[in-house]
Amino acid sequence: MLDFQRYQLAFTAHLRNPKLHAKPKKVVEARMAVYRESVFNNIFESISVCFPVCQNVLGKRKWRELIRSFVSDHSADSPLFREIPQQFLAFLNGLTLKDNKNSDSSEIANQLPPYLKQLAHYEWIELAISSKQTGQTKPQAADLNCLDNQITLPNASALLAYDYPVHQISARFKPTELEKTYLLVFRNSDFDVKFIVLNPVTFQLLSLIQSQHLVQSQPLTGRLALTKLADELQHPDVDLFIQFGADILNALLHQQAITLT
Amino acid sequence: MGLGLKRELIPQIQSFYPESQQDSAIQDSIIANINFVEIAPENWINAGGKAEADLAWFVERYPIVCHGLCLSLGGPNALNTQFLKQVKQFLSANKIPLYTEHLSYCTDNYQGKTGYLYDLLPIPFTDEAVKYVAQRIRQTQDILGQRIAVENASFYAAAPISTMSEITFLNAVLQEADCLLHLDINNIYVNSVNFAHKQDPIKLAQDFLHNIPAERIVYSHIAGHYQQSSTLLIDTHGKDVIDPVWDLLETAYSLFGTFPTLLERDNNIPPLPTLMREVNKIASYQANHKHHPASQQAHNLTLATC
Repeated sequence: MLDFQRYQLAFTAHLRNPKLHAKPKKVVEARMAVYRESVFNNIFESISVCFPVCQNVLGKRKWRELIRSFVSDHSADSPLFREIPQQFLAFLNGLTLKDNKNSDSSEIANQLPPYLKQLAHYEWIELAISSKQTGQTKPQAADLNCLDNQITLPNASALLAYDYPVHQISARFKPTELEKTYLLVFRNSDFDVKFIVLNPVTFQLLSLIQSQHLVQSQPLTGRLALTKLADELQHPDVDLFIQFGADILNALLHQQAITLT
Repeated sequence: MGLGLKRELIPQIQSFYPESQQDSAIQDSIIANINFVEIAPENWINAGGKAEADLAWFVERYPIVCHGLCLSLGGPNALNTQFLKQVKQFLSANKIPLYTEHLSYCTDNYQGKTGYLYDLLPIPFTDEAVKYVAQRIRQTQDILGQRIAVENASFYAAAPISTMSEITFLNAVLQEADCLLHLDINNIYVNSVNFAHKQDPIKLAQDFLHNIPAERIVYSHIAGHYQQSSTLLIDTHGKDVIDPVWDLLETAYSLFGTFPTLLERDNNIPPLPTLMREVNKIASYQANHKHHPASQQAHNLTLATC
């Protein structure tokens, strides 16, 4: 390592964790403080703007501590600013792995509510879907219908299953019990990101549609998907099931939550 | 004249942009003096959705230059060549002719891995650092297949191990890397105040400017800053440009002839018509120096943007 690099690493070690690493010798304290604040504040702002609910449920002090330990313990490996929240999410998800390590992070990990990682994911997915690259999307042809045409989920979308009602969490509602929660998040043609809460059967239907498309590369028509699902669920009246299913698919289509081809 | 393209400004520029794309309509508009815009590739690479649509709008209407923040030319870890390939692809996909970066670093080698700190950290001014940074600039130019420009960065903490002045370091790097210079007028002033040590900062800034290799200038930045104390300025791009900085721009134009100049405003962004007053002020400074012979600098960007 070159001499000036040794200095640089002492400089950055101090920026990451001023308590643990003294500033390099003979650097003016007031000037070092400019960098300490600037590095921390930049990262703090970039993360906080994406996770307002996490911040609210933890409270200002604990939230600051959490980001402090992100700065001191995580190697963010992306130069893209938009991906800082994703880096933070990776840090959160890595926290339990560090349980046995004697670090500030593992101490904080033990104080976090059990729903926090899923809540953070739910907050992050909005940003991820809003900025997902999809290429050109063709306008939907008018003469298609949900039963006879092939159905796919929008290119910018995600089908999500959480163990907590993440969409309801706030400073006043902190879930204490598990509650399976199914969501579809997607971007519409006005670039707005929408969330739809799904019941378990609709979630199962959309999962089937998605896996046929992505895994088998063979999108199903609405009728086929519903027939398959009725069979899986051993539903006594397939025609009735298809009729109800068509209503649901039409409602989703109306909101641009599914695409027909 | 150019303007740094912040997200907040996009709908305003779009609304003031005349529907008729005839030259006369554009020249009559309040944004007539925006001749090019600048973006940070770190904010736009791989961005889909609204951002992608906005970028396409600008690509059709304005010359764009890329001014990077996270390449970490002075960083202790290997150059991020994967990112550079993304930059190369981004430049070509959006017809962007020029990429510039800061003479600074923003990464460390934490737990054996490259860690981004997302800030502009000061490189110590030593001979080793000159060679190291210049080599990385050449490597960058090789990967991109084009010359880049480096910006004189603002900084706050002098490294006790530095063995030369900032201007000596800057010139040595430019020469050793044979790259272009992205001249930041405000940064000259900020650093002159921050490291004046009881000397006259105006005099220091003028001296710095007199030692600039004019033939390497590709374009310049002008911006405002925050005065934390009489001896400490922070390069926030959050206020109006102050008079001593305008004076420096004037000096630079008289020394070197005019060159493209871009207003950076990243914080406390006023409405576009207010911001345009400063862009227009650049235009009037340039008009005052029209009598100067066509400079090499204007040629550098013409080469790059046409």
